[in-house]
Amino acid sequence: MAVKKDYKDQKLAEKLRDRKYYVSESNPEFTKDVEKLGQTAAHMCYQCGTCTGSCPSAPRSSYRIRLFMRKAVLGLEEEALTDPDLWLCTTCYSCTDRCPRDLAPTDAIMAMRNLAFRRDIVPRNFLQTVQLIYKTGHGVPNNDANRAARKRLGLEEEPETTHKYPEYLPGIRKILDHYRLKEHADRILAEGEKP
Amino acid sequence: MSGSNHQYAFFLGCIAPNRYPGIEAAAVRTSKNVGIDLLPLKGASCCPAPGAFGSIDLYVWYAMAARNLVLAEQMKMDIALICNGCYKSIWEVNHKLKHNDELRDGVNEVLKEIDMEYKGTADVWHLAELYYDPKIVGVKKLAESVRRPLTGSKVAVHYGCHLMKPAKERHFGNTETPMWMEELVAALGAEPVQYRNKMQCCGAGGGVRGYDLAHALDITNEKLTNMEEVGVDAVTEVCPFCQLQFDRGQLEIKEKFGTEHRIPVLHYNELLGLAQGMSPDELALDLHAVDVEPFLKKIL
Repeated sequence: MAVKKDYKDQKLAEKLRDRKYYVSESNPEFTKDVEKLGQTAAHMCYQCGTCTGSCPSAPRSSYRIRLFMRKAVLGLEEEALTDPDLWLCTTCYSCTDRCPRDLAPTDAIMAMRNLAFRRDIVPRNFLQTVQLIYKTGHGVPNNDANRAARKRLGLEEEPETTHKYPEYLPGIRKILDHYRLKEHADRILAEGEKP
Repeated sequence: MSGSNHQYAFFLGCIAPNRYPGIEAAAVRTSKNVGIDLLPLKGASCCPAPGAFGSIDLYVWYAMAARNLVLAEQMKMDIALICNGCYKSIWEVNHKLKHNDELRDGVNEVLKEIDMEYKGTADVWHLAELYYDPKIVGVKKLAESVRRPLTGSKVAVHYGCHLMKPAKERHFGNTETPMWMEELVAALGAEPVQYRNKMQCCGAGGGVRGYDLAHALDITNEKLTNMEEVGVDAVTEVCPFCQLQFDRGQLEIKEKFGTEHRIPVLHYNELLGLAQGMSPDELALDLHAVDVEPFLKKIL
């Protein structure tokens, strides 16, 4: 009797099952955008799966970097950008180091995340980092317990960064405002969206 | 002596100065002992975090990292730093801007608004690679700086991802089975130990720690289990974010999965500090989530 290769977990099997895609679902511009932003020739991918085999996120989730590469090449923008797994890449670059086509799947993921953000699809924690940097210059700012520890070590309470020299903050805010990043983050957070 | 020392602008990042200040204190003192002066890079910001920040807008990531680079250019100095995440932002953006005119012009257009210009005159180094480089420090000189050898301790090395990978853009060579950090550990008298899948990620990067903590911790848990299997007294790394993930992560793993590891986590600069004779207090090792005491008992 022929045994069908499948996952035991029904949800996982459903998600990762082979299916047909139609030209009408494809946006060729998406492929170009991913290649430009990610600075990698994604269309050279021959789907060997070395990337998924190298991926620390793959064995513990339905995240499959090979499928994301496929979707990037086929222009399946909607599928790729609305999949919450897009945000499970730890950007470890193991796939990139092992890719026999010398591609950078990691950077293709980064590009797709950028494109998702342009459509307001983004997890909250990414936006909170933007707000913290806008406010303090740091993604992980100082706090009172740490100030006390620094003092104990003979260090100044505030490190020689924007913390000690807040006069540098307006310049940082100007850069972020140039790209309207804070405004964008604030708006999405206010609308309470989450993929 | 300090006149002939190598001087660098010290890029602090966020997690070292703001969560593990002992790493900052150690870096300044340990590097001085081997002929490196780390000078304050005034007004530096977050690198900004390559995963959390680069994921949403790479162009802002380039511009923000470029601002930090310009601060060092204005000091006419190269940057030295102590975090793999910072290395990815600061080294990689520097590399991209030096080799991509279109990108550099775009960044400079934005920097003009704050009266800055990126020129590409500074280089960026991780302190660990300066320690390994015989032209700057080298393993021999490092070993000579040791006052209290870490003899009898077994130490696992976690290289982290963003220092050496992607290999084709970097200059570290082999990213499958590197051994240079083991040499750095052996120079202190400790025994570096090999464990399964040592090049695996800590799990925290790419914004995953913030997005799906259980997923990130599951990766961390696998690494810690692999270390435990060969019996280690501590794990060392050169990335405060990996440190946070391994250190606080062990408490979170216990809470979420019920698994207890108790492997002390030490940044290489903290390890070097101990070997050069700094006291646990001078390194604020009490700030670590996992008790470092069992490791100290082995070496003190």
